This record gives sequence, C-alpha cells and structure tokens, in this order.
Amino acid sequence: MSATPHPPAILGPSLLPNPERRQKLRKTRAFRDGLSRHGVGAAGVGVILALALIFVYLFYETSPLLKPVSMEVATEVTVPGDDDLAPTVHLTLDRFETIGGRFSASGVITFFSADNGRILSRKQVTLPDGATVTAFGRSESRKSLFVYGFSDGSMLPLRVDYEQTFPQGVRVITPMLAFPLGDEPIRVSGGITGNYSALTLVDGRGGYVVAGGTDRGAIAMALFSTRTNMFTGAVEISREDYNLPAIPRPVQQLLVNESLRNLFAIDDQGTLYNFDIIDGNNPRLVEQVDLVPEGVTVTAAEFLVGSRSLIVGGSDGSLSQWFLVRDEETGISHMTRIRGFRAQPGAITFIEPEYSRKGFLAGDATGAVGLHYATSSVSLKQIQVADGPISRIAISPINSRALVKTEDSAALQVLAIDNPHPQTSLSGLWGKVWYEGRGQPEFIWQSSSADDAFESKLSLVPLTIGTLKAALFAMLLATPLAIMGAIYTAYFMSQPMRRIVKPSIELMEALPTVILGFLAGIWLAPYIENNLPILFVGLLLIPFGVLVAGFAWSRLPQNFRNFVPPGWEGALLIPVVIALGWITVTSSPWIELAFFNGSMRQWLTDVGIPYDQRNALIVGLAMGFAVIPTIFSITEDAVFNVPRHLTQGSLALGATPWQTVVGVVLLTASPGIFSAVMIGFGRAVGETMIVLMASGNSPIVNFNLFEGMRTLAANIAVELPETAVGSTHFRVLFLSALVLLVFTFVINTVAEVVRQRLRQRYASL
Amino acid sequence: MSQTHTATSMNANLFAGVDRQIRSLSDEEITISVENLNLYYGKDQALKSVTMVIPAKRVTAFIGPSGCGKSTLLRCFNRMNDLVDICRIEGKINLHGENIYRKGIDVAELRRRVGMVFQKPNPFPKSVYENVAYGLRLQGVNEKKVLDEVVERSLKAVALWDEVKDRLQSNAFGLSGGQQQRLVIARAIAIEPEVILLDEPTSALDPISTAKIEELIEELKVKYTILIVTHNMQQAARVSDYTAYMYLGEMVEYADTMHLFTNPAQKATEDYITGRYG
Repeated sequence: MSATPHPPAILGPSLLPNPERRQKLRKTRAFRDGLSRHGVGAAGVGVILALALIFVYLFYETSPLLKPVSMEVATEVTVPGDDDLAPTVHLTLDRFETIGGRFSASGVITFFSADNGRILSRKQVTLPDGATVTAFGRSESRKSLFVYGFSDGSMLPLRVDYEQTFPQGVRVITPMLAFPLGDEPIRVSGGITGNYSALTLVDGRGGYVVAGGTDRGAIAMALFSTRTNMFTGAVEISREDYNLPAIPRPVQQLLVNESLRNLFAIDDQGTLYNFDIIDGNNPRLVEQVDLVPEGVTVTAAEFLVGSRSLIVGGSDGSLSQWFLVRDEETGISHMTRIRGFRAQPGAITFIEPEYSRKGFLAGDATGAVGLHYATSSVSLKQIQVADGPISRIAISPINSRALVKTEDSAALQVLAIDNPHPQTSLSGLWGKVWYEGRGQPEFIWQSSSADDAFESKLSLVPLTIGTLKAALFAMLLATPLAIMGAIYTAYFMSQPMRRIVKPSIELMEALPTVILGFLAGIWLAPYIENNLPILFVGLLLIPFGVLVAGFAWSRLPQNFRNFVPPGWEGALLIPVVIALGWITVTSSPWIELAFFNGSMRQWLTDVGIPYDQRNALIVGLAMGFAVIPTIFSITEDAVFNVPRHLTQGSLALGATPWQTVVGVVLLTASPGIFSAVMIGFGRAVGETMIVLMASGNSPIVNFNLFEGMRTLAANIAVELPETAVGSTHFRVLFLSALVLLVFTFVINTVAEVVRQRLRQRYASL
Repeated sequence: MSQTHTATSMNANLFAGVDRQIRSLSDEEITISVENLNLYYGKDQALKSVTMVIPAKRVTAFIGPSGCGKSTLLRCFNRMNDLVDICRIEGKINLHGENIYRKGIDVAELRRRVGMVFQKPNPFPKSVYENVAYGLRLQGVNEKKVLDEVVERSLKAVALWDEVKDRLQSNAFGLSGGQQQRLVIARAIAIEPEVILLDEPTSALDPISTAKIEELIEELKVKYTILIVTHNMQQAARVSDYTAYMYLGEMVEYADTMHLFTNPAQKATEDYITGRYG
C-alpha cells in the first residue's frame, strides 16, 4: 500500500487550524510554558532567598557578639604638670574621654586634655600646716570620690564634678572640685598613731563612710551623714565613730561595700579580715580568709562596680574574684573565691574596674595591661604597654579609652579599647555561671534591672528549657487526642459525618492564638487554680466514662443500635462527654472538701509542690488546643490516604478493623503521622502569644507541671521593645531568635528526612 | 444453527488435547450454596435472584461483561460488600450449610475461612516474611518456629520459595508484579482457608506470570475450593472446571466449563463466548 497524500475520505476534510496558525499557536504555547516554568522557578528561589535573608539578617545583628576585642596604644601624652614633680597617686578620665585628671602626692590635681596633654586647669588641695600627703584612697569609680590622708592623721574627702555648658552651641566640660564633707580636713577618730597606709571612702546607704588603716594594724572608721536644712540650705553634718579592733599586721588595703555591711581589711601577707559593721557600736570580725597561697602577697585589690565582688591581684600575677556567699545553714556570709582569671606575667600593680559592667583592667610589674571580664570569666586581651611596672590606670565611664601611667616613664599611654560585648561567651550563654551574690553557679536569665551596677544574667538555657517545656506539655495533650481523633475520623467515621467534623476541627486552626492566650491567662488560669480537682477527676473520669459508654453501647440489642447509621456512633459520645464534664465540674468542690481540706491548691503548697497560677498546665491546655488542628489535619489525611486495597487485603485475611488499623493502616500512614507530630511540635516551639499570656514568663529551669516558664519566642516579644538598640542585650535577643529559627529549622529538617525514609520503607504502590 | 456449529467447533480448539469427561454438579460435593441472592447498591439492584452451588475442590469461573455483577457476587462470599455503606443483601449463602449472613456470625473468622486475592497485587509495606506471617499473627500465632514453617510451606506452595528465600526480610515491594501476586496467594493460604476467591488475579500481570498463576491454580484446587472471576475466556476455559456466565446481575448459564464453551444452552452465552456480544 502506498501512502495516501489526502486523509481517508471517511474522516472528511481536516478541521484543524491551518499550518500557519498552528505554528503561531505553538509559539505562544512555548512562550506560556516558558513563562510559567520560569515564574514557578523564580517563586521557589524567592522563597529560599527570603528564608536565607532572615538567617543572614539575624546573623548580621548577632555577629558583633563574636567580634574579637581590640585594645591598643593609640597615642602618648607627656605627663602634665612639669612644675609638680610629686608622684602620681591617681588618674581619672571623664565620660567624653577628653579630659584626664592627675592627682599628685603633693595635693595638686591637674586636669588636662587626654588628646594632647595640654593642661586645662590645676587645683591645689589645702594641706594642714606642716603636714604632707601620706595616703590616698578612692570610692567606687562611678562616684568620683577621693580622699587624701595627711601626716597629722587628718583626711580630706573630695569629689570631681564635670560641669557641662554649651556656649555658642559647643559643648564645654569644666572639671570642678567639690568637698562633700567640707573643705577642712576631718579626723576619723582620735588616738590613732602611725601613718595611714590605706584609706577608703564610700558614698553608701546612710551617708559617707571614711575609713583608714595604719601600718600598725589599727583601723579607724566613721560614718558621716549629711542633712540639708530645708529653710536655710545649710548642710548639717553629723558623725558616728566606729570602734574596730586592730588587726595584727599592717593594713595594706581597706574596702567597705556600698551597703555598709562589711569592711574588708587586707594585710601585707594577703589575709583578708572580714568585719561585720552593720551594728556601728559593735563591729565584729567574722572571719579571716587567705586570699593568696603561702608566699604570695596581695599587691592590688579592688571592688568591681556595685562593690559586691572583690578582684584580688597577687604578687605572682594571679587574678581572682571573691564575693560573700551566704551559708544556707548558718546564715553567715563567707568570703568565697569564685573564679580565677588568666594570670599576668608580673605582680599585679593596679586594678581599674569598668564603670557600668563587671570588667576590669589590670596592670602588672612587667608593663602588661590585661582586660578581663568577671561574669563570663574570660581574659579578653593582654598587651604590653611599657617595659617598666604599670603604676596607675584610668578607664573612661564608657569603657573605650584608658590612660596608663608607668612608673618610670614621663609619658601617659592612651589606650583605645573596642570591647562592646564582653559578657557573651559560649560558656556564659549556655553554661552555669556563678553570679554575684548567688550561692552556686546557676542558669539564670535576668537581662535588666533598675540598678546601674546590676550584673546582667544572659543564660539562654532557661529560655530553651522553657520553650521545650511549653512544647512538651502542649504535645502531651495534643498528640494522643489529635492522632486518635484523626484515626477515628478517617477510618471509622461515616463519610457525611466526616465531611462535617474534619473542616470544623481544621477551622479551629484559624482561631487567633491571642484569644486563646487571653482566655487561658485571664479565665482558665484562675479557674483551674480554684478548681484544681477538675483536671484530675476529668483525666480519670472522661476516658473511663467514654470506654464504659462504648461498652454499654455494644451490649445494646441490635435493633436498638440500628437507629444510629453505621459510622455515626461517635456522635453519641457528645452527650456522654458533656454529662461527664458536668459531673467533673460539680464534683470538684466536694472532692476538695473531702480529700484536700477544702483547697487542693493550698494542699499542694502544704505538701511542698510550688504552684503558680499561670503554669505549664495552663499553657499545655491552651497551646495543646492550638496544636490539635495541625496534627489532626495532617494525620487524618495520611490515614485516609492509605490505599483501600491494603485495608481490604488485611480484612480479607480475617483481620478485625482494629487489627487492620494497628497492623496496616498506622504502618502505612506512619510517615504522615510522624511529620504531623513534628510540624505540631515546630508550631508549639514557635508559638508566642499563648505562652506570653498564659505562662507567667518566669525564666525558671525545671519541668514542674505547676510552675511557669519563659520561652524564647515570648522572651523576644517581651524584651525586644524595651532594649537599647545595639546593646549586648539587644544582640543576645537576636541570638535567641536565631536559636529559635535554627531550632524549628532542625526540627523540620529532621522531620522531613525521617518522613522520606519512612515513606521509602512504607510507601504503598 | 450453522452459527452455533461454528462456535462449537471454534471453542473446541480451546480444549484440544484435553482429555476429560463432562462433569455434572449433581455428582459433586458442595461447599457453598447460594439461595436467591439479591444485592442492592442503594436503589440499584446489582444481583438478581442468584441461585447456585459451588463444588468442593474445583475451580469455578465467573465470566461476563463488565458490570455484570460477577465481582460483586464474589465479594458476597467473604462479606467484603459489608464495607460498602449503601450495600444491602437479601437471600442466603451457605458455607457448609451455615448461612454466612445470619446474625452473630464472626465476619473476621469467615474471612479467614474464605480467603481472597485481588486484581492488583496488594502486599503490605512489610517484609516478605511478615506479609505471609500477617494472617497467622492475627490468629495469635507468634511462635517463631511455627511462623517459619508456615511461611516456608506457603511460599513453597506458590512456587515462590526458591526465588525469595534469600530475601525474606526485605520489603515485599521489591518483588515483581507476578511474584507479588503469588506472595499474596501464599499469604491467603497461610491461614488454611477452605475457599479461595480470586478476583481477576492475572489482569495486571504479564503472560509469563499469568501462566505461572494458572499453573498454581491447577495445583491449589487439590486442596481448596477456588472461585475465579476473569475477563479472559481462554483463562476460564484453561483453569476452571465449572463456569458461570453472568449478565446484568443475573446468572445466565452455569455448567461444566467444557460443556458451556462448546455447547452453550443459552443464545446469550453463545454470543458472549464467540465474541459477538455487544
């Protein structure tokens, strides 16, 4: 047969468009295909890109935490005050880092430009007739209080104030001297012989404390309270002298904390004498503590900001932190070594604490200056500033510039420091840290306080534990209910009923979580607190009652049961559950009366179980409710999509429906059920509003059902609006957001990987 | 008449070389008897007054055009139609004299006694071993020794043992379609049924696998009563002893296979088997 050029006659003439039009159509078709292909591709890439950008942004905001600390000698200025050759006893630097102050042993105070050393002003302190300066002391750096001690046994406390004026719109800072206790030298107590070897003063609660110790071991101390007369404006000063026992060796260092509870005297052998000075009439020695090992002496000791922690520098270059730790049994606080820092090469000569946080600079006899941070117990940086011993260091209140005086150099070294986030080390964020005033190392999140000298506690552990705790209790409620419900709906329920039930449960997902959280926090939490037995009675009664009802139904005569079409039996449970719920609610007060002396909540407290009104139970109920639709919906789809030929195959082998569910349906649907649970878990981890409103937001580390928690998400919602942009706290919040994102990302990835594996194993044809 | 003649001689080719007697149902031992069975899907009647007996240890084939109710009838024997909500059944099916539609019968036990193999191979997403052991585990058998023996015996019975004995623990989905179908038959006979229902067991298989299954049916009928639904008339002729021709839910003709194919009593049957139906 030869090919016919024309179509067979029975088909008639071709009704297709002519070749040109078809050619054109092919082109537009190709164009549309290409457009949709690229469009879909671009959308997919866009989604990935958006996710990547979130990661990049969070990482960008977090990255300054990882930046290495820098500290270097920026400039050098000649020591100001050529005509004042007396040695330097102290250095200061103002908060704009432009004005330095040098206190000399002759009582001359020189203010100079920290940029070029030009002298701005010079003040001479009036010395008593014929007396010389024998000692110098200072308060905590924030207070800018200093005290000169003279050879006649008198002292002169003074303060440096920086006055800001704006002539012609330019900021001018004028350093001024003030004398809080008058410009006449004062005497702390009579009868002290010998020169002061250590001085200190404190602007504490209740007034100024001035204390001096002599090289013979005597300690003198007085509390000066000032009161301003409201009418005349005159300042009245009253004083109260303390009688402290002498210590056997020369006093090398005296320290009084701001709470005016303790006086610490350190002798020339490195022994600390801890005096309790709460009762001014009866100061007593609490303990003696050796701060350094035998053969080593304490060469410098200074309070960190807040005067709780003592940093001790030894002649061997060692640095350690000490504070009072209360013994829970005796109630007595003992000076305890908390941590050590990396030792410096030479004997520590000077310790300069930072103003607003728990860091310090330490200079040593070899000319090295080290930058250390207490909370994170890290030694951040150490540089060699000079060849000779460091004698004095002054850091500015904003911690980015410091002046360093070496013993034998005529120049002052100006250090530039870049150290914005010293407290976020890996161990500080994730490990136990011994915070000031605590009995032992702990995981604590407490990011801010009203107090300047507050040690911020940025452990991510309580937040992570809280997140897991909230998710865990929510899943505990949601997983069994959602999975069981889904199996019943997909496998046993009649189609018309399923068409009502499934969308209704899925609709629950659209419920705003803020409403759930609101109800849980405002209504459910107090209600449960007052009717606690409901929960436990309900937990026993409802499942048991449902089982009994099911059994009773199966025993009813067949023709009675025929009233209910097959697959609608579930609806019969609605009145049963309502009745059981009613019984539970009404029986609660009786049970409380009968077994818990009228209040189960009180009973719990009495047996030693702490109870918060907003707790994991409430969160579990509310968030469980929010997670149920997610798990239910995916599980239901998975079970419903188990191929009929598998279930029929099982039934045909003589399996009961229940055996079929367990042996075949759940196995085949397992990838879907697994991913349902994981997606539900991911949702519970990221959920914010419910935990924010119903959890109490207390960052505690435990899994107690009756205590609250603070989750990563809720913490960000609470604290981000209040934090200073760019601060360590701000960056740590971003870090916690990154942790949260990584968390959900890992959960979802693991879920997907496991699901794929399961699907490979249990996929049906 | 001439048409009938042609048909007869043509179908006689199906039995070329087969040396057997025309059997009569009255000589057979009866396993199942169907009495006046009516089946409705909602308002539609799918089976109309079906009455028949199924002989023991014979292969009975059901043929007929699509939608004639042959698969529906097959599913009545193990009550798989119960799974269809709108299905309603009147009449009786007696298995060894006991009506399987009477009240209080244990449907699961009935299905153990009446095994079924479906059109598409449907192994469970488990290992080869567990597929065969599944039915036994349902009966509460969990001793390894017993299971091992039953699995081996069942797989040998379907001539699959040699092919899979080295991969009993691997997933059943790894087997070919024909192997899967034999596995499913092994799974069915592992629980020692009395009757095996085969619902178009070879329609999804290639000719070689089909031949193997047919061989298997031949062997199995020594022990089991087999009912097979097929679209393939040659297959019915090859494997069955008796054949029922159904049309529109009615049992048109039911007789010895050779007799039905070579000398049908009904015009409708003849039209169908000679391919003139429709």
